[in-house]
Amino acid sequence: MTADTASENVLDVASLTGPAGRPAIFDVSLGAPRGGLTVVLGPIHSGKTMLLRHILGLECAERGTITIDGDDLDARGESEAVLRRARSRTGVVFEGAALLRRLSVLENVELPLLEHTDASPKQARELAHWLLEDVGISANEDMMPTELDRAEQRRVALARALALRPPLLLLDEPTSGLDSHAASELDETLSHLQQWGGFGIVILSHDVRYAFGHPGRVHVMVGGSIIESGDGETLRHSQHEIVRRLLDRRGVA
Amino acid sequence: MTSLPPDVLPDGVPNVLLDPRTTGSQRAAAGATGRFVSRSRLAIGALYWFAWLSVSRRAAVGTGVRREFENLGVGALRLVASSAVLMGLIATFQVAAQLAQYGAQSVSISAIGWFGARELGPIAVALLVVARSASAIAGELASMRANAEIDALRAMGLDPVKYLIAPKLAALFFALPFLTIIADGLIVLGGLIGALAVLGFGTSFFFETFRGAFTLRDMAIGLFKSVTFAFVIIFIAADEGLNVESRVTAISEAATRAVIFSVVGVLAADTVVNAVFYFIPRLL
Repeated sequence: MTADTASENVLDVASLTGPAGRPAIFDVSLGAPRGGLTVVLGPIHSGKTMLLRHILGLECAERGTITIDGDDLDARGESEAVLRRARSRTGVVFEGAALLRRLSVLENVELPLLEHTDASPKQARELAHWLLEDVGISANEDMMPTELDRAEQRRVALARALALRPPLLLLDEPTSGLDSHAASELDETLSHLQQWGGFGIVILSHDVRYAFGHPGRVHVMVGGSIIESGDGETLRHSQHEIVRRLLDRRGVA
Repeated sequence: MTSLPPDVLPDGVPNVLLDPRTTGSQRAAAGATGRFVSRSRLAIGALYWFAWLSVSRRAAVGTGVRREFENLGVGALRLVASSAVLMGLIATFQVAAQLAQYGAQSVSISAIGWFGARELGPIAVALLVVARSASAIAGELASMRANAEIDALRAMGLDPVKYLIAPKLAALFFALPFLTIIADGLIVLGGLIGALAVLGFGTSFFFETFRGAFTLRDMAIGLFKSVTFAFVIIFIAADEGLNVESRVTAISEAATRAVIFSVVGVLAADTVVNAVFYFIPRLL
């Protein structure tokens, strides 16, 4: 499945089975090209979030390797220092945005800059301000996250994820809870930002909108395994009944 | 892009504490010893990051402390103020009623003097803050854990103890003594109202008797207690909130347990402090 060489990929997952002791994903291999778009498509509880947790070092794997930006992480568990380095090069937008409630929108975006770089508070503030403008939030950056709606929260989380200019951006269910208009606006912002930042994007979603209409590779995950990979056209002619059902909007997705 | 600073701590000092890679069953298997270790780490981590907060000039977390102070401290002001006046009244009546048969009602004024600042003020404020905030703190952390927000913080390389618990601890370290000083004053006011309106003493007599019994050292001991209580409240509420199980009712149960154990914890800490001062009289 990972035909591309490691240097072209910003993320490589090889034969990943985990978590240790109670595996929920089995022998998953995939690669995400630098500056490209990779989609992991699957119904809810298919193991997408578990895959994300492994990539982020939140779970110990039983077998397999994860390579982020050329750095091998032993998926069976890594020291905090190694994880910390990997995390500073991975931007992530969680389904629930996960913004700190006691900090304002602007302060949330400043946080990774203050934590992971030696930027001065003033520099961090300027950069955060600029990032928020870039994701389309400018008027209300002194508001608290709870005052924003779901789409705006996700945009703030996106600004925070991009604060360290990571080569890899992970998005978990970016469209869940958004109407189709807000979802396509978010997609536009993403592709605009990608042109500027050149980061590789991995989207984990059950939303079939990500199956078609982009040049990226789609991996279909069902029951913890990747059962089909390819572009939209390949998937449309998949041998797997479950893939065709998933792509059919009336189907199980 | 600027370079990464080296880890502030040796690998895993407070960081291992909330390691989400530890599964629920591992946590259960760790048993009492494991819980003791993880709680010690929580306590040490919280104090470490409190110390870091007090010297750091990094703006974002600092404003978090200010908002926690507004929430935990300033928000409790009305509750504490009204309760303190009432407690001053009650204490005066109770002592006066007990001592009436000896014709020694005026001792109730002295009692306010030596008991108010040293015992009644700090313990009442701590219990009021528990009633108002312990369940909120535990509930907030528990819901963050249930929504995987705590994991999200870790995934971004942000230590949850540093960003969620240390600001609360820092805020309460200031808020509780601050509320205690206000309560001490208002307990005296309540006592004054009782002495004037009901017991029929004069203002100057009240303050003379009061000054004879009140010492600043009592107040200092009271403030020392309130700092101890602040730590106990945050530690217990945070421990309950962060170790919530993944069940539907678990969040409300964690909030309830946080209140119960905080009350017991505050009273236990008070007993210990009192015992220390009782058995080592030189400290008095």
